[in-house]
This record gives sequence, structure tokens and C-alpha cells, in this order.
Amino acid sequence: MAGTPTETQATRMLVVATLLCSYPGIDATGQAHMEYPPNTYVIPTPDPVMFPESFYLHCFEKGIDGILIASCGTDSPYEGSYEQLAARIPKVYAQMKARGISIRRLKLTAICSVCTKAFLKEVSDMEAVMAELGPVSGEMTAVTA
Amino acid sequence: MAERRSKPKNQAATTAAAPATPPEVVLPVLAEKVGVYICHCGGNISDVVDVDKVATEAAGLDGVAVARHIMFMCSDEGQKAIVDDIQALGLDRVVVAACTPKLHEATFRRVLQRGGMNPYLFLPANIREQASWAHPHSPKAATEKASALVRAAVAKAQMLEPLEKVRVAAVHRALVIGGGVAGLRAALDLARQGLGVTLVEKSPFLGGRTTQLHTVFPTEDPARLLVHRLIAEVKAQPNLTILTETEVVALTGYVGDFTVTLKTTPRGVNAELADRQAAIAACPISVANEFDDGISKRRAIYQPYPGSEPDLPAIDWASCTRCGDCVTAAGGRGIDLKSDPIETTIETGAIVVATGFDHYEPRVGEYGYATSPRILTLPQVHRMLDPEGPTGGRLEIDGRVPRSIAMIHCVGSRQIEDVDEPGPDGKLHEYCSRVCCTATLQAANQIRQKYPKTAVYDLYRDIRTYGRDQEPYYVDASKAGVVFMRFANDARPTVELSDGADFPLKVTVTDTLTFGTEIEVPVDLVILSVGVMPRDVTGLIEMTHAPVGADGFLLEVHPKLRPVESAIPGLLLAGTVQAPMDVTESTSAASAAAAKVTALLAGDHVEMEPFVAKVDPSLCDGCGLCLDACRYAGAIAMQEVEIEEGVLEKRAYVNPVACKGCGACVPSCPVSALDVAGWEIDQYKAMIDAITAEPLTAGARS
Amino acid sequence: MIEQRIDIDALVVGAGIAGLQSALDLADRGYSVLLVEREASIGGKMIALSKVFPTMDCASCITTPRMSSAAHHDNITTWTYTDVDSITPDGAAFTAKLTRKARYVDEDLCIGCRLCEYACPVELPHEFEGNMGARRAAYIPFGTAIPQKALIDIDGCVYCGKCEKACPTDAIDFGQKPVSVTVHARSVVIATGFETTPLDAKKEYQGGVAANVISALDMERLLSPNGPYGRVLRPSDGKIPDNVAYVQCAGSRDETLGVPYCSRVCCMYAIKQTMLLSGSLPLADITVYYMDIRAFGKGYEQFYQTARSMGINFVKAKVARIEEEPNGDLKLRVEIIEEDGRVSEMAHDLVVLSVGLKPGDDPRRFIGVDLDQYGFVASPEPKLDATLTSMPGVAAAGTAIGPKDIVDSIMEASAAATKVATYLGPPPNSPQPADDGVQIDIREIEAGDALAVAGHSEVLRG
Repeated sequence: MAGTPTETQATRMLVVATLLCSYPGIDATGQAHMEYPPNTYVIPTPDPVMFPESFYLHCFEKGIDGILIASCGTDSPYEGSYEQLAARIPKVYAQMKARGISIRRLKLTAICSVCTKAFLKEVSDMEAVMAELGPVSGEMTAVTA
Repeated sequence: MAERRSKPKNQAATTAAAPATPPEVVLPVLAEKVGVYICHCGGNISDVVDVDKVATEAAGLDGVAVARHIMFMCSDEGQKAIVDDIQALGLDRVVVAACTPKLHEATFRRVLQRGGMNPYLFLPANIREQASWAHPHSPKAATEKASALVRAAVAKAQMLEPLEKVRVAAVHRALVIGGGVAGLRAALDLARQGLGVTLVEKSPFLGGRTTQLHTVFPTEDPARLLVHRLIAEVKAQPNLTILTETEVVALTGYVGDFTVTLKTTPRGVNAELADRQAAIAACPISVANEFDDGISKRRAIYQPYPGSEPDLPAIDWASCTRCGDCVTAAGGRGIDLKSDPIETTIETGAIVVATGFDHYEPRVGEYGYATSPRILTLPQVHRMLDPEGPTGGRLEIDGRVPRSIAMIHCVGSRQIEDVDEPGPDGKLHEYCSRVCCTATLQAANQIRQKYPKTAVYDLYRDIRTYGRDQEPYYVDASKAGVVFMRFANDARPTVELSDGADFPLKVTVTDTLTFGTEIEVPVDLVILSVGVMPRDVTGLIEMTHAPVGADGFLLEVHPKLRPVESAIPGLLLAGTVQAPMDVTESTSAASAAAAKVTALLAGDHVEMEPFVAKVDPSLCDGCGLCLDACRYAGAIAMQEVEIEEGVLEKRAYVNPVACKGCGACVPSCPVSALDVAGWEIDQYKAMIDAITAEPLTAGARS
Repeated sequence: MIEQRIDIDALVVGAGIAGLQSALDLADRGYSVLLVEREASIGGKMIALSKVFPTMDCASCITTPRMSSAAHHDNITTWTYTDVDSITPDGAAFTAKLTRKARYVDEDLCIGCRLCEYACPVELPHEFEGNMGARRAAYIPFGTAIPQKALIDIDGCVYCGKCEKACPTDAIDFGQKPVSVTVHARSVVIATGFETTPLDAKKEYQGGVAANVISALDMERLLSPNGPYGRVLRPSDGKIPDNVAYVQCAGSRDETLGVPYCSRVCCMYAIKQTMLLSGSLPLADITVYYMDIRAFGKGYEQFYQTARSMGINFVKAKVARIEEEPNGDLKLRVEIIEEDGRVSEMAHDLVVLSVGLKPGDDPRRFIGVDLDQYGFVASPEPKLDATLTSMPGVAAAGTAIGPKDIVDSIMEASAAATKVATYLGPPPNSPQPADDGVQIDIREIEAGDALAVAGHSEVLRG
């Protein structure tokens, strides 16, 4: 079992999972009946490099309280994409800060296709962050511009 | 569009040939007849997830025409339910909530096709691996999650557009560049499998570097006979063209349909030449003979060895002065000194690069190289040991058989920073050249056998006789009295000229086999086992955009799983252009490349998945930032388009053949004009909206 | 026995990485392929590896997509748990007798839910995990197995019937019998793979006797993210090792073992394992005792140099004997060649024997191809056509031909597909070869065409 989520505050975690490696790794976690909290929603992507900053902001605005980017790390099927993805994260963080969102709510991780324990740990860590910070709606400031 | 072509020039023809393409229809904003199917998986899902509740909730969603739950969706019963609903209810999208899409995505796409729908209008929701199996002790929460995943899938499905595989009409012909063993092997395999083949060789002669050997290890087959056997089979192929003295000078297009311009230089000689000896003897020019690695001279009209392929001399236009002496000697027949090259343009579906390797050429002074005629490279010694070579097989220096020889391994291979100096190309050659250990021991054994009185010292780091039947060369060398000395990873032997001494050369080595003792070896001859070097194919690299590795060899897609494919679709690698290899490995690589070509060109079209980037031209303002984000050559380009009459502006254009669909370009666009088909950002946002549309009610463990 | 009969273009024997690749290449070309595997899952040895050198890709991550492509390919039929009994020439084609062994589970009904496995009370050593860890008598071979179908190890079964009750699809069938199948195949690819040389081949190394002398394949499982313990522990007492030794050529380059040849992969897998070990056990000392380091493949030497710079201790030495101490530690008598050739006594708490490769099956059991003296399939044309066999229409690939690593196996597997495809001829409705319109072929020049000398394109062929 990964961390036990709090019962009092309903939070949601989004996992964007790279199709070639992370998504099967997360499948393998379920296949092994290794449990993690059900407030975790996994959506597949060919490569998380495709998401602009605005997508992450959109998620937080809609009430996603934590996001794990499950990449293939340097094993990315697309040459150089991990470096491009990693370079984007600080820009997302800057926008999150501008909106009052704790940057701990977004984490870039590498999950391979048999990385079940690594996945559980990342989920558990993010659950802890969400439990500590509470729902994102509580800390977000309105768009000023 | 039913068919997307890589090259604008073919646009018209293809559109005509393609099945009638409906005009661009403006799709309804959201699909309105989604069919939703929830799988029990025989209890695997339904024991945890309340599938009835999930189906009922799905049925209440906007745009959902029907929602059912079925025992096994992958069974015939489940598949039939979908087909029946497509036909009876006119479904426009299908969502199946079941196991991981890795298992049955392809199955359900085919079901849609059977029902008459575009297969890409299917969307899976994974509620087994990612709901019932992951949350078996939280049935209420798992049900709530399954419902959320279904809502998300429906939301995305409503926005899906029909997609068509990217298709390129295939030219059933392959171009093979390089006429050595790898190129010959690939050409023969391709022609025998029913493809047209154009084989081009840069030099006037076929067979490549293998013809410079007397025998090949470990079979000890006569090398030239071996290659000639292959050439004879190649020449017997009807759909195969062989061009010597030919280079690729221009290349456009993509997998399935490349257009290649070839430049062929005339040979200057044909079969009407009656007395080739007289013609060659008449030539006043003398240049270094590359076939003998520079240890002999040849004329401007020359033949590397009797019976070469083709068995005709050629004129080396670079050194020929057009004096005409050979023409006179030949009686005016069979020689033509007009050397103007001609260019031919061919269409080809795929290209096999088999351009081979060069021997490492040591720096002047590297182990004494080029400071004494007694310091030779192994390829030079190979020529001397060849009974048909320039010395008739005699290994003699100044007419005397060396009394003592030192052979030094890893010259130009396994180089280490701060220990070795870079080679003459300015690069450190860090890789192992793979073939030199066995080749060196093969030569050592030949020398010991031929000249039992000659002492042979073998200075090595590790002996890598790894291949089938190669270890015996090592064992035999030890038995034959070859003396092995081992130098450390970070130490190198030195070679000095010792004028006036009994032996003209002195090799000094710190031998780790004898407790690190510094040993001086007086020798008559030093043989440098030079490595395999990537041949300079800069022109080809520029034309094809083929990636090159840090070691200078052409880069494969994956060094473990896809060794003969380059990242450029339709461009295959065969033999030593990719890495050092022996003859066996080169021919296997060539046959492997042939397998990839024949699979690519098996049908009338080359087909690829449609998940590639697309541009909304109404949003694109031609800023070009996407070009910097894209890592794939030719995947995105700027094209001038007429936005209104007489007004030309630049717009991004995605070449669906070159695009890999990673989406790196998507966030680079300041106006959100880019997306990956099937994975659009607005679709993701709709999924997020759907997931968060309902409040969470179930406690995590309820 | 029930009889079936099917017709197929190519029969591929063995579904390890080589067999998978040959099958995929042939199927992509349009031939119908029957891929048979004696084990209950496809994937061969590669699927059990931790990571692969020199890319350090997780082996499972790069093998499973290949397995899945083959399993889902329209032109490939995959039969696991199937033995090949005989393949005999039948005109230009072959008649193959196969036995589909009884899984005691109906493959068509089984949905891979594992409820039988959870219900089964019997625990048996887990072969996939090198017998470290346990599996049930009713089981799916391993997590990433394809197909995800259960089988019952009938020798270990206690016939309690719990699996039968647990199965939601009534797939358990204790009455199942082996099915004998006759296959009419137009061609054959032999990809029967390798086995490692026995752990106890050199008695003086105490393999199979001392618990903490393990084979490199066992270490692959220990290092695997989904391995038996999820971490590296030594088998005798679960202690985390802090002084690990690798003994190279422990089964290769040794005439006395009948394996005088080099096994080609042991240097590289040892280097890879030491790098992985130094990651998971950062404080451990790791020593490799070797004769020659043979890092000959693309990028391998650079990989080796990286390991050296990471502080892995490479010692040119001969290990004469290994003795087990009462606490499970090991004492190695080592002749260190680099120093003064003296014999030293070295202490380690875990020893990995870099075992060699030998044929995984005797192909002569079922087909009349020529083998070499070590039992590997021999080609009549080893330099130009290494994947041919002595029988027309039969090719061979991968470690069935001789020891080799994954990339060389894959290369040969594709080459073997080419040989088989050439033998078969193009599939029906194949497109015609396109002409290039070039008219200056060297054959015209050789034929003495005067104009061809200058290479003028107006010269017409034929």
C-alpha cells in the first residue's frame, strides 16, 4: 500500500503516462494487485513533451490537486524529448507560482515498464503533498491580467 | 484526406489514384452517438466495480446513445454487440471500458472497421489494471473512478476525428550504395525476392576490401573467390543494375519514393581492348596503388588484380594526363579518353547504405609510423602475405625475411583520453574495431608457419577472438611460439629506430604478464594492427540527414533492437558503415537490411500510423518556432501558401512521413496551431473537465 | 491424442528474441507464420534479464513490445507450451509433428485473471526467478508473460480442486490431453536458443554447493526491478553483500569442459551487472577476475571503460578454487597474473559465476540439419550466408548458431527471414519490380559496347 489518503479532504491526482514505458508500468502495478489510492487518474500520452504550460494550469484550475508526469526518462522513444520536457518544467513552475500554486503539486518522474515500486512511491509522495497542502482550490489566486 | 503524400510534385497524380476523397467536411463540434461498453471481465472488473452503475451513469451523459455492460467485451458476443449497435443505432464513436488497451485496442479497432466505422473513432478506458485490480479493497471509490474514466473517454471520443494511415505509394525498387560484400549481399537478397535493384559502387571494381585479403578467417576460404562467387550470382539477376564509378549526387523524397541522382564516370575502357598489358605498360604515370595500401605503384590505366570484377582495366581520371599513349598501344580500340560523367535520375522505394570502412591511418610518428619502411600496417602486410600480391607472398624487407617481428594491437582503436593522441582525423577512436585481434593472430600464425625462424611478439591489451572458430587462432598462436606481451589499459609500447644496431627497431613495452617488467624487443619489422575507421560519407549524410554516432559510424535506430535501420525511414544500414564487423557479420547485416526493405515495400503502399502532428493553417502565423522544437529532419517545414489571392505567407507544414508524433512541436507554438492527431490538447482538457465534473463522494477505502 | 493439421508458409521454432524477430520479419512481408515455443510464454531468455548492455534499457521494457507485436500480428499464429517432435522434408516443403502439451487450462476460456493462482495452496520453486522465490502449481509463468494464460504444473498439483472452483470461466480442465498436430510448412527457421553451461560444471568453484555462488542469470533476476526479492540479497542468509566477485569464463574457453569457445556475452553482462550493482550497493566492493575483456560490439568498449572509471576492480587472474566458509562467505584462491603470478587468497561474500552459452536444444532431435562439433547449427556458407543450414528451406538464427548477444541475434534473425523469404518466393499478388531505366550497367561494358565506354545513356539494353 502506498500512503493512505486523508478521508476528510477529497483530492485528485493526475498521472500523464508515456505510452511506451510508464503506462505499462502502471498497468503492471495493478496487475500485481499492488494497491494505490483510487483518486489517481492515469491518462496516456505518446510523450508528455507535448503538453504546454497552459495544460497543467488548466488541470489545477479544474481541481486536479497534484500531477505526476510519468516519462520514460532518458529512455524516451523520441530522441532528445526528455531534455525538452525537463526544460519546460521550470516554466510551468513559474506560472504555478504566479498563481499561488505550490510547485510541489507537479513532479516530473521516470517510470519504466516494470517500475511498479517506483510508481507506488511517487504516488505515495504526491498523496502526502496533497494531504499536506489540501485541495488546490484553496491556494489558487485568480488570474490578474 | 485518404492519402497524404510526401512530395508536392506527386500530389495531383496521387489524388487521382486515391479512392474518392470527400471534400473537407466541417465536423459537428461534438459527436452525438457514442456507444459505451463496460466489460465485467468475468468478475475481474465487476467483482470490484459496480458495472451496472457505471453503465447507467454513462447512459446519462450528453452524446451517449447507448451504454451496456457485458461479461466479456473481447468475446464474440461483446464484439457483435458493438457491430449491431453501430448498424442499428448509427453510432459515431465507441468507448470500451475494459482491460488495458495494450491487450485489445487493436481488436476493437477492427470491430469498428467491421461495423463500417473509421477504426480511429474508438477509445479505450482502462478500468481493470487501473481500477478494479489497483483498488480491490475500495469498491465504491473504484466504481467512482471507473465512472470518471468513462466520462473522460466519452469526452475525448466526442472530439475524435476519423484518421487515415499515412500512406506513400511504394516504388518497388531499392538502391544499394556500395559494392563490397555487404552491398553485394543486400543487392542479391533483394533482387532474388522480386525487387528491382540498382547497385552503385564508387570505384571501378566490385568486391570492396575483402578482395584485398588472401583468405578470410575462420574458414580460410580464398577471399577473392568467395567474393567473386557472390558477384557472379548478383550479375545473374535480371532486375538488377550494376553501376561502377557511380556516386549519389542528389537525393530527395521519402520512404517508398526517393528520387536519386547518380553520377557515373566512364570507365574509359571496354571489352574491345585486345591487349590490356600493352595498354597498361604504355602509360607513363605512376601513382600509389590503393589496392596494396600504398606499398606498390600502379599506372593511370590499371586493374587491381587479374580477374577483377569487372575483368577490365579502368582509367583513373584523376591521374591520367590524356596523353593517349595507351590508346596508341591498344591500336585505337577499346579505350576512350572522354571522361565526362553522366547523370541519371532513378526512383527508389528504399536505400541500403553499404559504403564500408577505411583502415585507420596512423599519425606520422604514431608507433613510428611513416618514419621507417619497416613499420607497416596489418593491411599492408596482408598484401605482402598474399601469394597473388605485389611481393608474391614474400614478407621481405630489403630482400630479407625479418628475423623478428612485433605486432601491436589496438592502433587507432580503444583509444583513451590523455593516454592516446587523437588520430589524424582529430578524433579519439574509443571503440574496439572487433576484427583486428583475429586478423592479427591469423597473420601471426601464417608468418610463424611460413618463416619458422622468425620470432613473433604480439603486444596486446585483451585478445578478442570472440567469434565462432576464432579462439583456435589464439590457441594456435600460443602453440606456434608467438610470444604474447600485454600492455596496460593506460600504458602504450613505444617504437624507436635504432640505427646501427643489429636490429633496426626497438620496441619497448611494460609487460603486465611478467610482473610489469619493462622489456625491450629488438625487431626487424613492426606491424601495426590498425583499426576500422568510419569512411567519410559526409555528402550522403547531408543528403539523407542520416544521424551519425559519436564514434563516426552511422547511427541505428536502436543499438540493441533495430541495428540495421537508420532513423530516416527507408534508409537501411548494412555492414561496416554502422560499426566494425567481419565478413560474416557484414553479410548477415546486409541480409537483415534486405528483410526490412522487402517488408517496407511488400505492398503497393508504405503505411504508417496516423498519429502525427498537424497544423491549423488558420491559426499558424509562420513564426517558425516549431522548427527549433522538432528533432526530426524534414518533419516540419515552412511553406509559402497563398492565404488570399496574390498574398503569399509562410505557414508550417508537417510532413506526415517524417513526423514521429512525439508532440515536441505542440507546446512550442505560441498560437496553439499544432497538435498531434489523436492526442490533441483540447481533447486532454476535455478529459480533465470530465474527470473533475463530479465531486468525489466515496472515501478512499470505502 | 487429437489430431489437427494446418498449412503455413514458415514454421519458426523458438520464440525467444531471435524467433520473434524472424517471425515478425516474415509476417510483415506477408507470409503466414507459425511460431512455436516449448515454454508457456514467449520471450525466451531476454525477458528474464534485468537491463541490457550497453544502452541499459530495461530488458522487459524493450522485449514486451516485440512479444506483443508477434502475438497480435495477423500473419502470426503463436503456440506456446508446444514441443517440436519432428520436421521432415516433404517435396519442397516440410511435414512437422508437434505436440501441444496439456496446460490443464483451456486457453480459449482463460482470461488471465489469476484467481486460480491465488486459490492454489501449493508453493513450488519459481523457475523464472532462478528458483529464488516461489510460484503456485496453478500459475501464469511471470508478470509480463504472453499469453497471459494460466497453466497447471501437474507434477506439483495436489488435486485439491480449489483452482477449479475459483476460475470464473470454467477454464480449468484436469482431463486435458496433449494434442498432436501435423503442420505442413513451406519453410523452417530454427531459433532454439541457448542454455547456460551448468553452474556446477567446474566442481572446484562449488557452484550448486555453496549457496552464495550463483550464476549470472540468477543475478539478472536479483537485479531486475521485478525480481524475486526486489533487491540484491545473497541467497544463504538474506545479507546484503558488500564484497562481490565475478569469475569470468566459468564455463567457456575451457577445453576440459568441452566448451573451448568464447561465449561472447559474459564479459559484457558481467560489466553491466557490476555497474548495476554499484548503483544498488554503492558501498560494495566489486571485483571481476578475467582472462581477456572482450568488449567488441558497438559501444561496448566505451561501456567497459565507464565501468573501470566507476571503480569496478578488474583483475586479470585465474581463479583456481572457491571454498565456502561456515558463515556463507567465500574464499577464492586466485592466481593474479598482473602482479607476480602468485596465488592469493581473496575473501568475498557473494560470487557470481559468468557461465557460458551452449545450445538450448539439440535440433537433430527433430530435424536433419548439420551441426558443428559443439551442437550449434552449421552453415554450408558461413561467410556469405551464416543463417543457411544444410537443408534447403531451413534457416537458423541467434544462439542456435552459436553464442551471441541480443543485437547480433536480432540481426541474424532478420537475415534468416530473408533466406526463408528467398526460398519461398514472393507472396501471391506481390508487386512487380520497378525498372530504373538505367542503361549503363557494367555488364554492357564488359560485353564490349563501344558507346558504353563513354557511358552515353542512349545505349539500349538487351
